[in-house]
Amino acid sequence: MKILSRVLLSLAACFGLGMAGVAAPSDSAPGASAPAIALDVSQAAPRQVEDSTVRAITRDYGRAWQALAAALGQNRADLLPEGFVGVARQKLSERIAEQQRSGLVTRVIDHGHRLQAVFYSPEGSAMELRDTARYEIQLVDGGSVVSTETVTASYAVLMTVTDDRWKVRVLQETE
Amino acid sequence: MPQPVCRGTRAGRARIARALAGCAAALVLMPAALAQEITVPHRVAAGAGVSIQTSGSGAATLYLVGPGTAIKRGIRLGTPAEVSGADLRNAGRYKVMVRAGGEAHTANFFVVPGAAQSISFLARPSRVPVAARDAISGVAFVFDNFQNLTTAPASVTFNLAIADGPSITRKTESHEGIAWTRLDSARKAGAAQFVASVPGVEVRRVVQQVASDPCELRFHIKPGKSGIEAETDPIRDCSGNAVPDGTIVTFTENDGRTRSTVDARIKRGVAQAQLPAAPGATITVASGVVAGNEVRVGGEP
Amino acid sequence: MTIRRLGLAALMAIATLVLLAAGYASSGGAASHANTPEAAVRSLYDHVRTRDFPGAFRYVAVASNTDVERFTRDVAGRDGSLRTLSTLQDVNTSVLHENDTEAAVRANTHWSSAVGSLYDSRELRVVRENEDWKVVWPSDKTPNVPPQVLALNFLRWEIIHPAAGEDWGAQNAEAPRVRILNMTPLQHDLGNGLQGVMILGEIVNEDTVPGFVSVTATLLGANGESLGQETAFDKISHTLLPREVSPFRIDFPGAKLADIRKVTMEPTALLVPASADPVIGVLHQRIETDARGHKILKGELVNQSGETVNIPHVIATFYNEAGKVIWVSDGYVDHALQPQIPEPFQLEVRDDMGATPRFRVTVNQYTIERQGA
Repeated sequence: MKILSRVLLSLAACFGLGMAGVAAPSDSAPGASAPAIALDVSQAAPRQVEDSTVRAITRDYGRAWQALAAALGQNRADLLPEGFVGVARQKLSERIAEQQRSGLVTRVIDHGHRLQAVFYSPEGSAMELRDTARYEIQLVDGGSVVSTETVTASYAVLMTVTDDRWKVRVLQETE
Repeated sequence: MPQPVCRGTRAGRARIARALAGCAAALVLMPAALAQEITVPHRVAAGAGVSIQTSGSGAATLYLVGPGTAIKRGIRLGTPAEVSGADLRNAGRYKVMVRAGGEAHTANFFVVPGAAQSISFLARPSRVPVAARDAISGVAFVFDNFQNLTTAPASVTFNLAIADGPSITRKTESHEGIAWTRLDSARKAGAAQFVASVPGVEVRRVVQQVASDPCELRFHIKPGKSGIEAETDPIRDCSGNAVPDGTIVTFTENDGRTRSTVDARIKRGVAQAQLPAAPGATITVASGVVAGNEVRVGGEP
Repeated sequence: MTIRRLGLAALMAIATLVLLAAGYASSGGAASHANTPEAAVRSLYDHVRTRDFPGAFRYVAVASNTDVERFTRDVAGRDGSLRTLSTLQDVNTSVLHENDTEAAVRANTHWSSAVGSLYDSRELRVVRENEDWKVVWPSDKTPNVPPQVLALNFLRWEIIHPAAGEDWGAQNAEAPRVRILNMTPLQHDLGNGLQGVMILGEIVNEDTVPGFVSVTATLLGANGESLGQETAFDKISHTLLPREVSPFRIDFPGAKLADIRKVTMEPTALLVPASADPVIGVLHQRIETDARGHKILKGELVNQSGETVNIPHVIATFYNEAGKVIWVSDGYVDHALQPQIPEPFQLEVRDDMGATPRFRVTVNQYTIERQGA
């Protein structure tokens, strides 16, 4: 009996501590600082990437991942237009709709991105990049974290100029 | 495999140690999870369904998370869990997790893009002067049926053609979903059809090839209702194309004391203006940086 | 009950009569008296200010050979001209000379209008008629357009935008290519008594389609910090047809040229529907010196198209010998331009620009859209 009560106490403590972890401030909240982005444009062709574009891509890609983390963490598709457009936005919106149906949220804790520009269109309105991203991803079901994983993933990214900003049009994880 | 999360609080060290010991004890004392294994193919074509094999028995919860997908549903262990192609349209990494009795098993697989089925074609510019080198660019982004960027090489053909003129064709292969080309504009003005195609799909754009600067600007004068009417000959560029209507042509008359100017517009190929009848005055014409002939009022052109 | 009603009606009738009498008295009554030439001019303009044109006309001398309708058209404007959108704010008068029967009075008027303040100066002859002074109003001699049918060859650009809904890669008509031809910063009086820096220059539409252009300048200080950003407002022709060149002037009140290390220019252009008409000729351009010894650029505008131009806006660009823009001035003409009818204009010229400055005059215009146009 004593052992059982101790086990129950320990489970309760464990659950409580676990919940404390869940309730900790999330990096995916809106207003969180932008992830670290390192952009290499030395391989970009056929157009050379302008300095101002380097700055804009770095800033806007970081914003896009902030928006992604906030949207998946709060199941709010309305946060996506900040950084996404077209197919990427549509697919992320579908994911959020499914998360809502399943009672899930995804928490993304971004650890940074190494971006390499591989194509910059001749007229300067589209850029394809390869992103090596590191982040921690938690799947939360009904308030409990059911899965935590630290991931290093490769993405094919297509960014285009929309409303005077660069937005992610394709975000496709590759093998 | 996800682990119970035990994190430090402000409680004392001894208390944390007790809690950690309790955690361990709890894990040991939990009912033994039914042994499970998940078997999924490493790679699946976009839009194709997949059958997730599990071992063991009893009820479990299946989580499937991927781009555009976040599924949670109950399954019976030992029975294949079917995932439809509609849930696997988007290329990328998918994570499968099966939880039963506090135990979870995970597996990953990739959905890869299918064959090229659609093109997003950026053709620039929409207007271009004739006979300009490398002035037209075309970029084709190749997608499969489900709007996944087709990363496998695909054969893309670009074709630029203008009515009654020779066409230019470039064949190229897409690299990481992108094929592009640069072309010269033709010497003939008009609407050029610019087509990008992959087998079975073609996308058409129109590039308006417009006349360049006027080549030889000449005008003549005749008496008008209230002064002099000046009118140019048909205004063409050096390739013989008519300079677009609406282009500004400036007539300037100088009589030694005053100057009169009219910014006329080309209409139906010529520009006209009314100027004061000032005997001995000189009239000149210009369009942009191109100057034309000079005519003296009351004299020979 | 009936008696009470009758009493009320009588009371209202009396009140109405009293109000009418008061209004009549305040308007000066049927006969308007001015004891001095200056009072006649001031009274005339006082009525103009309240838009009581028949009241103002009572101060107009018979010798003016005009009628109230023509006088009203002249003072209040017509044909949707700028004057029709103006209100008299203030009048200053000064007697130039006077004798027992005749006087000359200068009236400087200040009008508020849709495009800002307008100033006008008239030298008016005032004559004694019976015991009163009356103003000889120079009647509007603008000829009327003879009735006729004009065949017009309109040229207009319209734009068809892609249908709603996103279709990335679908082509859209691009904005026209524009280029700044030259740019000069200048420390000068901005014309409103304020010192400041102005950025002068020219912009050209190099494309084959019309554009709505704008030019923004940013002043940067010694450490690259922004000292201010302004956009050309009315000293520019915003709608540029293919190959058309417009001057621009951007004012930075209070800025000092010595503080500026760099100026960044940002021209922008939007593809807009536009008409190639009207064509306005600028005839007989010349520099003259006015009575005060100031240089004035004068000329006549002739609308060579078939529709009325409501508000002409004249912009003059002045160049140095090297062809660089050294000054841009502008002014509105408060008369509408009827087809083929010359309308004079004049602009002030900086006195320090030499005897024969090089200049170019362009005309911007605002026309009230007509049905079917």
